[in-house]
Amino acid sequence: MSWIPFKIGQPKKQIVPKTVERDFEREYGKLQQLEEQTRKLQKDLKKSTDADLAMSKSAVKISLDLLSNPLCEQDQDFLNMVTALDTAMKRMDAFNQEKVNQIQKTVVEPLKKFGSVFPSLNMAVKRREQALQDYRRLQAKVEKYEEKEKTGPVLAKLHQAREELRPVRDDFEAKNKQLLEEMPRFYNSRLDYFQPSFESLVRAQVVYYSEMHKIFGDLTQQLDQPGHSDEQRERENEAKLNELRALSIVADD
Amino acid sequence: MEHEEATGKGNMGTKKKNLTFLRSRLYMLERRKTDTVVESSVSGDHAGTLRRSQSDRTEYNQKLQEKMTPQAGRAAEALTQEEAEHQTRRMMARRSKVIEELVQTERDYLKDLELCIKEVVQPLRNKQIDRLDVDSLFSNIESVHQISAKLLSLLEEATADVEPAMQVIGEVFLQIKGPLEDTYKIYCYHHDTAHSVLESYEKEEELKQQLSLCVQSLQNIYMQEGKPNLTNMSSLLIKPIQRVTKYPLLLCELRNSTPPSHPDFRALEDAFTAVKDINVNINELKRWKDLVLKYKKNDEEESLKDKLSKLSIHSISKKSKRVTNYLKILTRGESQVKDSTFNREEKLFRSLEKTARHCVKNISFCLQHIQDAMHFALQSVLQLQEISCTKDEEEGVQPEAPGNAPYPCDDFVAHLQKLVLTPLSALLSLFPGPQKLIQKRYDKLLDYNSYLQRAAGEESDLAKKEYEALNAQLVEELQVFNQAARKILLNCLCSFITLLRDLMGVKQQLYSAAAPVTLLVSNIFEMQNRVLEEVQNLNFMKDNSATFIERKLSFEKKKPVQILPEVPRQTDTHRSKLLSTYSIEELYQAKRKCNATQEYDINLLEGELVAVMEQKDPLGSTSRWLVDTGLIKGYVYSSFLKPYNPAKVQKAGAENRSCDDDFDNISLFVSSRPTRNSVTSTPEGSISDSSSSLSGTCGKFETNGTDVDSFQEVDEQIFYAVHAFEARSNCELSLQEYQRVHILRFCDLSGNKEWWLAEAQGQKGYVPANYLGKMTYA
Repeated sequence: MSWIPFKIGQPKKQIVPKTVERDFEREYGKLQQLEEQTRKLQKDLKKSTDADLAMSKSAVKISLDLLSNPLCEQDQDFLNMVTALDTAMKRMDAFNQEKVNQIQKTVVEPLKKFGSVFPSLNMAVKRREQALQDYRRLQAKVEKYEEKEKTGPVLAKLHQAREELRPVRDDFEAKNKQLLEEMPRFYNSRLDYFQPSFESLVRAQVVYYSEMHKIFGDLTQQLDQPGHSDEQRERENEAKLNELRALSIVADD
Repeated sequence: MEHEEATGKGNMGTKKKNLTFLRSRLYMLERRKTDTVVESSVSGDHAGTLRRSQSDRTEYNQKLQEKMTPQAGRAAEALTQEEAEHQTRRMMARRSKVIEELVQTERDYLKDLELCIKEVVQPLRNKQIDRLDVDSLFSNIESVHQISAKLLSLLEEATADVEPAMQVIGEVFLQIKGPLEDTYKIYCYHHDTAHSVLESYEKEEELKQQLSLCVQSLQNIYMQEGKPNLTNMSSLLIKPIQRVTKYPLLLCELRNSTPPSHPDFRALEDAFTAVKDINVNINELKRWKDLVLKYKKNDEEESLKDKLSKLSIHSISKKSKRVTNYLKILTRGESQVKDSTFNREEKLFRSLEKTARHCVKNISFCLQHIQDAMHFALQSVLQLQEISCTKDEEEGVQPEAPGNAPYPCDDFVAHLQKLVLTPLSALLSLFPGPQKLIQKRYDKLLDYNSYLQRAAGEESDLAKKEYEALNAQLVEELQVFNQAARKILLNCLCSFITLLRDLMGVKQQLYSAAAPVTLLVSNIFEMQNRVLEEVQNLNFMKDNSATFIERKLSFEKKKPVQILPEVPRQTDTHRSKLLSTYSIEELYQAKRKCNATQEYDINLLEGELVAVMEQKDPLGSTSRWLVDTGLIKGYVYSSFLKPYNPAKVQKAGAENRSCDDDFDNISLFVSSRPTRNSVTSTPEGSISDSSSSLSGTCGKFETNGTDVDSFQEVDEQIFYAVHAFEARSNCELSLQEYQRVHILRFCDLSGNKEWWLAEAQGQKGYVPANYLGKMTYA
């Protein structure tokens, strides 16, 4: 511990056994890590939700812009395609919203609830630390008097110091024991707690993506009867582009 | 021809009555002869040819009709037949010569090309000299070679082993005209640039050497064959152009030497037209290119200085004229030269441009968001997984290894870039050129309009020509452009959708590999609530929540906490006891409220009376004094204390005291007193001697001359409850809002003025003073 340099010349016995301290540090460390994780997860979920919403919004914008284009008035095929695309995009948006709601309900909120436990824990740990400090201080005092000559006032003071020490020590020990007992329980409770959330999250994604897959699968079938492969399209595009570049009205540089 | 005439003369005597017919026929033949000359000379004029070939065809039909009509004389028929047969024979002979020439020249040409590719193009390509761009020199000479080879093989196929009467050459050309045009268009289109590139290369010594080396080897071959006709690089380059202009001439000659009855005649006519069209198109292409280049250059490569230098009076007047013209058209609605096709195409073009622009923008936005969404979703899933699963447990079971997960997204991004965004951006980059030209076309149109109105001859012609050239070019190419652009756009959208589908599919598989058993939402809540309850039951949670609640309570209602003091307050009993026990020097009074901080400390309220027993604590510090409150003994910081001055106290605490007095007079006091004591559970036996000592103090205070009456008046005052108040113990009184209460005492037993003893509807108890408002009878 950090106060080791200050106790030169007065070798004190460790009032809290090293193993206990280590156990405590380990358990609390795990919980602190868990807290950090939940906080980060909350942030990421928020980001994820925002990104999801932004994505479906921008997707809808693609089709809306296409739909509002004058090209649609001139080209029936194009209009049909764009309308189909628009429908698909809107449905995607709806499903996305549903997914986000679902995640909000089954993941984000439980996560928040779980996260609200940590302040209490930290407070409890702080109280334990406080108690430990008191305990140390009084212990030091007692030891100081013990080392002194046993004169009357010293004995009185020693007695008083001992009297003061006792409840503080009991308090600390109770707190320490309680925390050592309860922290692992709390830590383990996360498994039961988050497993359903995890499953729900994955499930929401699966549902969403399978719906999307279906929607876009239908759309491709509807729009793309010949079923061009990507390579074919790429080649066609390249050919058309070259055709365009060969036009004299097109600037070639 | 002379032969024909001779036969005509020979028959003149016998067939006199057919002379007129013959003459007309002769005339027609004559005319055809001159016509062909005219035709070959004006081979650039497309429309003229069309008309001509049409007239030829009608003439041919006429002749057929004549043949069919039975009323024509037998003799005349016989003569025509004989004459025609003779003529046909002659023509066929010539025809075979022409064909031979055609095939032979094609063969030579092909060989030239072959040699050129083998000796010049290939070595240059193989050398891979950095600054030497072989493609810009020779562009598509390989495909020119291919098409020539194809043509030759087709020609050979059509001529070899076929009866001369059945040889159909025209078909060959008709068959190949599409690729022929495309190939030569490209070559001719680039020839100008190639030429200038060549010139620039010849300025550099190294490149020039390379080139001349190749040409030298080619020349050697020609020398060996005895055809030293090649001089330099540029003559090599121009060969295909020379060849393509040769085709119409050859075909024209071939057609002229083909008898109309020959099956090839019609085909040749068509082929001739087609080949001529090819040449016209190539020429037009070059002309347009020049025009386009002129206007394109205008905007692109000009610095500000150039622009300023160009700003001549002429250009200013031209521009201002355009503006006024434009305004005229806008305001007066004057008749204007219109081209509906162009307008339609232009509209389409602009919509396409807008669409493409929007698509690029939106799709790239969307891509960005998709990337983010996928990334964060995956990350949160992984994190949650990490939280919800212990590491040693089911590590292998979870399929979402972080390593393979991000790939589908990357894949998607790459594909989207390749299949959608790249073509679309490429397409988008092609729009400005036509836009500029469209603008220019409008300018020219305005010029044209203004000249139309003033009907100025030559200028009008020029303006008209420029406008028409631009317009024709735009109309034609915009159609192609629009179609191609639309196709690309549709393709890209299809690709986009397909890619989305694939992405969704991949994602679905990815996640469903980890798909858990179905859980109902309520089920989740139940499970989680149970766990959470367990957690709440843990001690540290309870401790905390208790303090939380306490703090919350104390925050909301500060007073209730004060009514539940841990230590009983000093009462008058104790005061009197102190006054009687200790001398006045030993008596001190608390200057302000003092809270216990250490063990054996006592709490004091402001104004409380204490007797100092020892002016130090057990450790010898004089800052802490041992005092007696009459109720308890303990330590207090001396700084909180001041010497007791009875007279001052009486004045300062008059109110308190008098309240106490009033209190005594009320019957309630007797009943309320024990309850209070029971609540505070005073350890001392203060109750037993309370009455005696109380009366003592009362007497004492009364003698001190406080104005009792005035307080009794106040006492009678009626207050009302501003807020509802609920009693938390039986020494408090519940109040309804606006309920009227009599205030019996304006402080509680310990002199706290924030709690008043009130009476309402026969019940008595303490209420917080700030809940009450004074009732006025106004």
